[in-house]
Amino acid sequence: MGLARRFDVTASATASPDASRHSAPTRKRRRSQIGLAFIAPFGVLFTLVFIVPILYAAYLSLFQERLLGGNTFVGLANYGKLVQDPQFWDGVGRVFRFTLVQVPIMLILAMALALALDSMRLHGTRFMRVTIFLPYAVPAIVSTLMWGFLLGVKYGLFGSLNDALGTDFDPFAPDTTLISIGVMVTWAFTGFNMLIFYAVLKAVPRELYEAAAIDGANEFQIVRAVKLPALRGSLVVTVIFSIIGTFQMFNEPQILPTMVANSGVTTYYTPNLYAYNLAFTGSQQGYAAALALVMAAITIAVAYAVQIRGLRNASDK
Amino acid sequence: MRLSQKVRLLSAVLVPMLALAACSGGGGSSAADGGAGGGEQVKITVWSWDGTVERAVPGFEAANPNIQVEVVNAGSSQDEYKALDNAIQAGSGVPDLVMFEYFAVPYFAIPGKLTDLGEFGVERLKSDYVPAAWSDVTVNGKVYALPSDYGPSAMFYNKATLDKAGVKEPPATWDEYYEAAKKVRALGDDYYIAQDTGDIFFLLSLIWQAGGRPFKVNGTKVRIDFTDAGTTKAVAFWQKMLDEDLINTKITGWSDDWNRALNDGTLATQTMGGWLTSTLPERAPKAAGDFRVALMPQWQEGEKVGSANGGSSFGIPAAAEHKEAAFKFLEYFTHGGGLSSRVDAGAFVPNTSVLDSEKFQSETNEYFGDQKVGSVLAEATQIVGSGWQYPPFFEWARSIYGDIASPYYTTGQGSLAQILEEWKRRCVQYGNEQGFEVS
Repeated sequence: MGLARRFDVTASATASPDASRHSAPTRKRRRSQIGLAFIAPFGVLFTLVFIVPILYAAYLSLFQERLLGGNTFVGLANYGKLVQDPQFWDGVGRVFRFTLVQVPIMLILAMALALALDSMRLHGTRFMRVTIFLPYAVPAIVSTLMWGFLLGVKYGLFGSLNDALGTDFDPFAPDTTLISIGVMVTWAFTGFNMLIFYAVLKAVPRELYEAAAIDGANEFQIVRAVKLPALRGSLVVTVIFSIIGTFQMFNEPQILPTMVANSGVTTYYTPNLYAYNLAFTGSQQGYAAALALVMAAITIAVAYAVQIRGLRNASDK
Repeated sequence: MRLSQKVRLLSAVLVPMLALAACSGGGGSSAADGGAGGGEQVKITVWSWDGTVERAVPGFEAANPNIQVEVVNAGSSQDEYKALDNAIQAGSGVPDLVMFEYFAVPYFAIPGKLTDLGEFGVERLKSDYVPAAWSDVTVNGKVYALPSDYGPSAMFYNKATLDKAGVKEPPATWDEYYEAAKKVRALGDDYYIAQDTGDIFFLLSLIWQAGGRPFKVNGTKVRIDFTDAGTTKAVAFWQKMLDEDLINTKITGWSDDWNRALNDGTLATQTMGGWLTSTLPERAPKAAGDFRVALMPQWQEGEKVGSANGGSSFGIPAAAEHKEAAFKFLEYFTHGGGLSSRVDAGAFVPNTSVLDSEKFQSETNEYFGDQKVGSVLAEATQIVGSGWQYPPFFEWARSIYGDIASPYYTTGQGSLAQILEEWKRRCVQYGNEQGFEVS
């Protein structure tokens, strides 16, 4: 590309002004056509799997489906109803609270692990790296079943613990279920985030450490002055990924009720679960579509706010 | 540079979010197309998650060489209903014959999505079906499906556990059941006569047996009332059982905990549909020989009234292509020559011709200590109280019942009666939104 442009410049400089006026537009048009051809495969897929479904969801959200009377156009009534739906806000509030607590814990843990691996003072880092990352490869359905057994009070590990200690702690009581889900999610995604941090740390030029060492910095000072600032950019990314992930929480609360009685998981426990149940057992597709779009807007707003703040802070420093 | 990075990052954020939005908005899948064969040859498509239906196909095709039957499993229960709704809406791929649980029949019949089987003279088959099953497929006086299997409520009890508790005879009345429950509970911490963590189908079967008819459906009018005498009696009884800690509220049916408790005998009874006969041996192999089957305990000594818990039927969608051929097959496998092959394969059918047969009545079951299980279940089927109705939006209603019941079962605050009132309130709201007149 750069070479072509340079050639272009020289060509137009040597050619007569008349000729350049003549040939430039055609060449430009041809080049833009080639460009279009290059992005066409992406564009087609993007339109099919992304734009069209969104537009369709937006279209659906304007209708109300009834068992009697079929589909009727209701304008923005679904959105009006949603704003006043306590069950929706209950779910939104829950994922917000979850995000506020779980994401910082997970990311601090991931960062600590990444720093530990990067400190080069541990044996078997490669094994550790894979082991910590491994839970990420376990499907959420499997891991939920696994944790369900592990945390079950009747026959699970917690049952034995309670027996041994004489306690009566239930990880799946309505008040504690969210914490248990937090543990599951943290277990599953810490390794993923750790890898991102670790990759960034690996990319830090070794000269910086040498310089720091020459300046007499100890390991702790290196972490504070070199490594943590290097991680700032990736922190924004991981925070955003995590927010999206937790806002979309679905598998865990979907599966838990089949394993544990009365864990407090309702059909509207998270907005995603609520949308699913509205659409597939309540046959309220229009309302579910509205919910999904509003939730998407909320998530984008939060993620965007985090990003702007994060990047501003990063550039301030 | 920073800006484009931002844009890229943002789209990375957007794609999963909105793909999700689209997912929950868009439709599911419509299943196999039942395209017609060439000439006069007709091919019908049957949607069924009952594996025994397929057994009837070879005999039917031999007797009707011009009709070809394709049985498709389009998912169980609500997955299938969803697929059917989609196919009807899309106007293509509508099957000719579809399986419905009894409570789902009004959901499809009332909006006109099912064929009134009256045009095929279905009334002549009425005498072969137990009355309660016939009433399950009748909506507003018209028959929309034929019963294909049935779940009469019965009490499965662990004889070993009851013996240990000093209960010599299985409780025949609910009063005896209450006394037995106290004895079982006295065996120790883990011993309970039954579990309940908000099982609406069980509670309704109890209400049904007590004579309560909380749902009354008339055309598009639905009346919900949980205060009639039968309902009140059943709810008060179960409330007493729960209040006195005679019921395990920690173990949920079909969970791993449930399996274990069934195996080690700490749950003494299960009052459920007759289909548990085939489920128990799978779930509780270690308890082989311990379990027996009896009729549900009665409300009045000497009475014989039962209720149902589950069961299904087959109907013909209004948009089906080959209705006549479909009905031929329907009659064949639910009533005619195909019935016996299904019964042999384990189907429990509500046909009097089968239930009354010598073979069915006299067959013993090794898992149940060589008890003649068939004869008990046949009787349980004959005594099911008639006139029970489900509201057309029952599928939705049962899905939210847990939300309402769960706080009570975990904290003990509130009561079953309050749960039912709240459930009614939500049902009324939803039903009216859906275009019914619900009160």
